Amino acid sequence: MPQFVGFFLANLIGMTIFLLGFQFYQDIQKAYSGKDGLMSEDYVIISKHISTLGNTIFKQSSAFKSSEIEDLKEQDFVEKVGGFTSSAFKVRAGLNIMGIQSMSTDMFFESVPDEFVDTDQKWEYNEGDNFIPIIVPRDYMDLYNFGFAQSKNLPEISEGLAKSVTLDITISNKEKKDHYAGRIVGFTNRINSILVPQSFLNWANKEYASGKKAEHSRLIIKVSNPTDENLARYLQKHNYQTDSNKLKSSKTAFVLHTVLGLVMAVGVIICLLAFYILMLSIYLLIQKNSTKLENLLLLGYKANAVSRPYQLLGLVMNGVITLLAIVVLLIVRSYYVSKLASFFPSYEGAGISTTLLVGVGLFAITTMINSKLISNKIKTIILR
Amino acid sequence: MDIILLDNTLPKVFKNRTNIVSDVWLNPVTFERGKFYLVEANSGTGKSSLCSYIYGYRNDYEGQILFDGENITNFKSAQWAEIRKTQISILWQELRLFPELTAWENVQLKNQLTNHQTEEQIEKWFNQLGIADKKNELIGHMSYGQQQRVALIRTLCQPASFFFVDEPISHLDDENSRIMKDILTNEAKKQGAGIIATSIGKRLELDYDVTFKL
Repeated sequence: MPQFVGFFLANLIGMTIFLLGFQFYQDIQKAYSGKDGLMSEDYVIISKHISTLGNTIFKQSSAFKSSEIEDLKEQDFVEKVGGFTSSAFKVRAGLNIMGIQSMSTDMFFESVPDEFVDTDQKWEYNEGDNFIPIIVPRDYMDLYNFGFAQSKNLPEISEGLAKSVTLDITISNKEKKDHYAGRIVGFTNRINSILVPQSFLNWANKEYASGKKAEHSRLIIKVSNPTDENLARYLQKHNYQTDSNKLKSSKTAFVLHTVLGLVMAVGVIICLLAFYILMLSIYLLIQKNSTKLENLLLLGYKANAVSRPYQLLGLVMNGVITLLAIVVLLIVRSYYVSKLASFFPSYEGAGISTTLLVGVGLFAITTMINSKLISNKIKTIILR
Repeated sequence: MDIILLDNTLPKVFKNRTNIVSDVWLNPVTFERGKFYLVEANSGTGKSSLCSYIYGYRNDYEGQILFDGENITNFKSAQWAEIRKTQISILWQELRLFPELTAWENVQLKNQLTNHQTEEQIEKWFNQLGIADKKNELIGHMSYGQQQRVALIRTLCQPASFFFVDEPISHLDDENSRIMKDILTNEAKKQGAGIIATSIGKRLELDYDVTFKL
């Protein structure tokens, strides 16, 4: 019957759209949250605005008060907060090439709690060690290679080479001057500073700058969901600043979620309409056979027994549709997952068990409602 | 089930009539199991309505109908199925056979549900009623009189406290009417069942205990 073909196609399309939207949502969510994923800014670095009047002239502190840090920790979107610690002493780094100090520069160190540092190298400092591991922003390499080196006719340096060079670190205060060996152990995109282990700065600040209170003028926050709008709102409210790019991801994600939500809603609407067509068609079929059904009921056949063939019709159609929708889902998914995997090398899909469960659940619910409506309809055939 | 009681029953369509003269409508009427009743009616007095009410097919009436003291409007669909399967067997005036099935299949449709009669017994009735050769004929191809006999056999294919036969012999000759009477009486006596027969003209010649004028 043409109605049933119509229902079949419509419901298949609706179900496929819905399940695909659902699966895609999960897969893309995985892509956000992956380590090198689309929106891996699980980490947000914030600081206060520096104003000319307040900070430069009146020397107001731009450090975060501990009450402000506590308040931040209590927010739902915050998983953990770490403060940046700055070196409170003089640091000079020189480059030794074949025993000759070829150049040197004043610099500084900062540290964040170790849990915010993601490196496969040993990242700690024990009192008495002469070696200091250092992480620098990847941008610095680019600045050197593409800006500085080219204009000065210097050789470009690869990451591997940079890591193999030992830096001559000189730390001093008014009383003493000590030498350390530093080496770059990694590059980061996450934190825009020259990092050393927290344990080193804790010790060194005590050793070379005793009496100075450690204050955090920058904070690193691990957020549970970088796409949370509340984050952006909170920062705005407290007049904190951050790398605005990072908050863009929340806007992108919002748009993406909205679009996916709309697509799924369309799928649901198509399914509902298809279900409506199915019920109308079955009602029509029942109406067409009402005399026969009536006679069967008057013979003493139970309404349930008389309903069964129609319920079976619904069951089989819904079952086949669910299966087909899942097959289509798998085909389409294998295609886009390979695409996603080419964008994000370590990408793994979210797994389809939840979607399968949802599909089977929908099948069960629609079949149940379907059966109930049919048996109710059959019961109304007699007893007028 | 032992007693069917009609208590002040009246089809709703008769509500505005003032001149109702009837032994049944608006009167207390009792049908007891094991007794034979005749309901004589003129056309348009609600005979088919009466059948439909008692068989749970329609409920557009006022007053009450009680089976063993229980108001039948309270019965659920499943209870009705059980009653139609084991308590009341009806031979509809319009027969309600399935025209696309054969005579035999029509009877089996009921007997498969109840498992009440043996195939031999059904064969015997086909023979007695002179339609043995029509067993595999489609109902749609049979005469009304032949269909009436098939419908009777089907009516007997279930246990019953009451047999309700609505103008069962309207298209039968006297000989077949007599055979039908014998078969029906036998089957009712065997089960201790009551018979309620209706007629507008030709009446099934039973030994009626009570005759009502509808």
